[in-house]
Amino acid sequence: MTSPPLRLSVNGRPVAVEAVPVSERLLDTLRWRLGLKGTKEGCRTGGCGACTVLVDGSTTLSCLTLAHEVEGSAVTTVEGVGDDPVGARVQAAFAAAGAVQCGYCTPGFVMALTGLLKERGPADGFDELLDDLAGNLCRCTGYASIVRAVTALREARP
Amino acid sequence: MSTSLRPDAAAKAAGRVVFGADLDVPGMLWGALVLAPVAHGRLRSVDLGPARALPGVIAIGADDLDTLLEGRSGDAERPAFPRETVVYRNQPVAAVAAPTLALAREAARAVRVTVDPLPVVADLDAVFPEWPGSEVGPSPRIAAHVHARRGDVDRAFREAATVVRETYRTGSVHPVALEPHACVAEVRDGRWTVHTSTQSPFGVREDVASILGLPEESIVVDGTWVGGGFGGKGSSLVEPFALLLARASGRPVRLALSYREEFLLGRTTLPAVVRMETAVTDGRIVARRVRLLLDVGASLPGRDFATGFSIGFLLGPYRAPTFEVEGYAVRTNKPPFGPHRAPFAPQCAFVVESHLEHVAYEAGLDPLAFKADHLLHEGDTTPLGQRVLPFGLPAAFEAARAVAETWRRDVPDGHGVGVGVGFWSTGTGAGGEARVRLSPTELVILQGEREIGSSSVLVGLAAVAERRTGLPRERIRVEYADTDHAPFDSGVFGSRTVGALGGAVDGALRSLLGTLAQRAGLAPPVSLAVEGGQVVVRGAGAYRPVAELLTAEEASAGGLSAEGKHYGKSGTLDESLVVDGTFYPYTDFTGAAHVAEVSVDRETGSVRVVRYAAFHDIGTVLDDASARAQVEGGVAMGLGTALTEEALWSDDGRLLNAGLVDYRIPTLGEVPPIAVTFVEGFAGAGPFGAKGIGEPPIIPVAATIASAVRSASGAHVTELPLVPERVARAFKPF
Repeated sequence: MTSPPLRLSVNGRPVAVEAVPVSERLLDTLRWRLGLKGTKEGCRTGGCGACTVLVDGSTTLSCLTLAHEVEGSAVTTVEGVGDDPVGARVQAAFAAAGAVQCGYCTPGFVMALTGLLKERGPADGFDELLDDLAGNLCRCTGYASIVRAVTALREARP
Repeated sequence: MSTSLRPDAAAKAAGRVVFGADLDVPGMLWGALVLAPVAHGRLRSVDLGPARALPGVIAIGADDLDTLLEGRSGDAERPAFPRETVVYRNQPVAAVAAPTLALAREAARAVRVTVDPLPVVADLDAVFPEWPGSEVGPSPRIAAHVHARRGDVDRAFREAATVVRETYRTGSVHPVALEPHACVAEVRDGRWTVHTSTQSPFGVREDVASILGLPEESIVVDGTWVGGGFGGKGSSLVEPFALLLARASGRPVRLALSYREEFLLGRTTLPAVVRMETAVTDGRIVARRVRLLLDVGASLPGRDFATGFSIGFLLGPYRAPTFEVEGYAVRTNKPPFGPHRAPFAPQCAFVVESHLEHVAYEAGLDPLAFKADHLLHEGDTTPLGQRVLPFGLPAAFEAARAVAETWRRDVPDGHGVGVGVGFWSTGTGAGGEARVRLSPTELVILQGEREIGSSSVLVGLAAVAERRTGLPRERIRVEYADTDHAPFDSGVFGSRTVGALGGAVDGALRSLLGTLAQRAGLAPPVSLAVEGGQVVVRGAGAYRPVAELLTAEEASAGGLSAEGKHYGKSGTLDESLVVDGTFYPYTDFTGAAHVAEVSVDRETGSVRVVRYAAFHDIGTVLDDASARAQVEGGVAMGLGTALTEEALWSDDGRLLNAGLVDYRIPTLGEVPPIAVTFVEGFAGAGPFGAKGIGEPPIIPVAATIASAVRSASGAHVTELPLVPERVARAFKPF
């Protein structure tokens, strides 16, 4: 069963996607219809965070979101997040801290942290920030270098 | 010692690298596997008709193999699809491909598999129910047997002052790379090509050739970026099926496991039961007996490596004048045993460390002093008769002991401090070859491994080249090529990349530098440097630009090339001690000692890790940041093995927790700060005395946590992982 074209904005550009089944996940629309493979497919059950994107600025698991749910919304993926000054700083901090090993979880972490930093003010606690990041899994780094990247971002905060 | 940024970090943080799971080829079909509905049974029929009736669907099973492979027969013991019997639940029995993934899944479900169930042998208890109370009798389920001994063991146990006998059990752990196995295959003009996320392109080529009965020359394996390996992507899994579907359809076919299938089909390190017996007189170990039953799942008989390799780790890095070791690999109706970062060594370290600590307490001795008294040192002989090469474990142990003593002075109530050790030998016996090419502006290392995340390829090989030539890292590029274009290498496993493939790179560079010295008329040794933007060869007091030393032919071919090989040698064992089976000598000796502080909840038995310190001998440190990152990641992975990770199997061979919600890996809040220290001065067999670091950090973790839990609560837990229930059940006054 399909519905009218799905209209949304992806990384600042309006898109209209034809023939998206009502049951299709945003993850699959982004990856296989729009070719945005930077958003990673991990567990598809909301357990790993690899598929995290921003929907109207909020961190969202694209594997648990139906594409039609975000009709009319602004979706940001890792391909576009570098256009945002916070996103660019997060990407640079991950690279500088060596918070990247295999890199499969990295886009999800970058998106989650960007969203959290934008949602939260400077007064919000570091521990709360880390708590909120704990929904993103990394098997390579043991999180140590990721925590160093977050620390560096907090300290460099304007 | 040098530290540099990873060359792949920025591209990965921008989501720009293409993993196997991201491959998308125009015109490709989507594959799916049809999985056996029972763990053991006789296949009556696999009816592909209902799948083939769906539009655009290709379906293949065992009956199609002859046609697809033009009568070639592969390895009869492991055909792509079974013809008569299924031996584990979810064993692939057929495969389908369709224009969409949804249709492929629908087609896979439509295939009618009829199986007459046979009795399921789900675990070790089903094969040897009374063990270790009774002997291991003959059984068709035994895939391998190893047995060695020295001296009169029975007499030593009879005459000893203290004898301690214990039984340990260890659970099943899954590698849990976040990227599932994924590939795209194409078959055209007699060439079978697969682009795949693998730790070993050449290993996959060999596997596919063996399974499908194809000549290796007809197969091309092109590695993609790998979203985590940890041993799970060391051999083929999805590739033969994807190639068969591509052959049948004439189209490219993508085959990726769903994450649930990743758990169901992915290879796990399976459960074990270990009997440990130790005899002590006057504070000295006089005899040990170690017996192992290792579940190897549906592994093929006679092809087990794990038992003979790992049983030495149950003796541990300790002297034992009189000993007996005996191990059995036992086949059950689970998927075949698979490697998981230092396969089974963390479990072995947990068993031997917990046991010797317990022995010390039973004999009224201080556990750390008792262990220190028995540690192997360089020049000693292992129980199996191999001379110990340079070995920093005793130094690491003393450092860890000192930290543990400091921490113990100020731990609060309910907290405890533990120490554990682990040792390892890197897989540098597996060979590798590399090519280097020097142009007037850069040095290129051409080789056949993809970076799997550990940085051993992109950083490790470049660090070897930087150290050998003197050229700065930004002028060195590591280039990958597929199996048709790269020199042979065994794969990224066994912590071997820097030692073995790095050894090949180093050999190639020494040959290159020799040629350059000769052409430049400079006395060796020469090095490379950058002058005015150009690479130059530098000797005593003089230099020549590389551009002036190349022939016209070399200049047009991109520079001067050289090749190197490394085929490492292992030590030798005292074969007179071996009663049966194959034991494996070590290529080198690496080791680590870890310290943990934990708190234990006296109500629930739950364990929180408060702080952690790791002391490692990795020989010469070639890249400090990368080596530290391996320790941090390995310790975190080890915390999963220690505390939460356990694949649970039902009596009918069903995996009960096939997903990340029920199979719990460590999350960001659960990993404490980890202080990493390298003890230097113990050279390994790798270039410049380097030893590998990918696997060793995971090895001592479960042992260290168990020791800390005992220190905190008195709970002596003899089963991994230390889930709250097991800890709570083991509480007793300390």
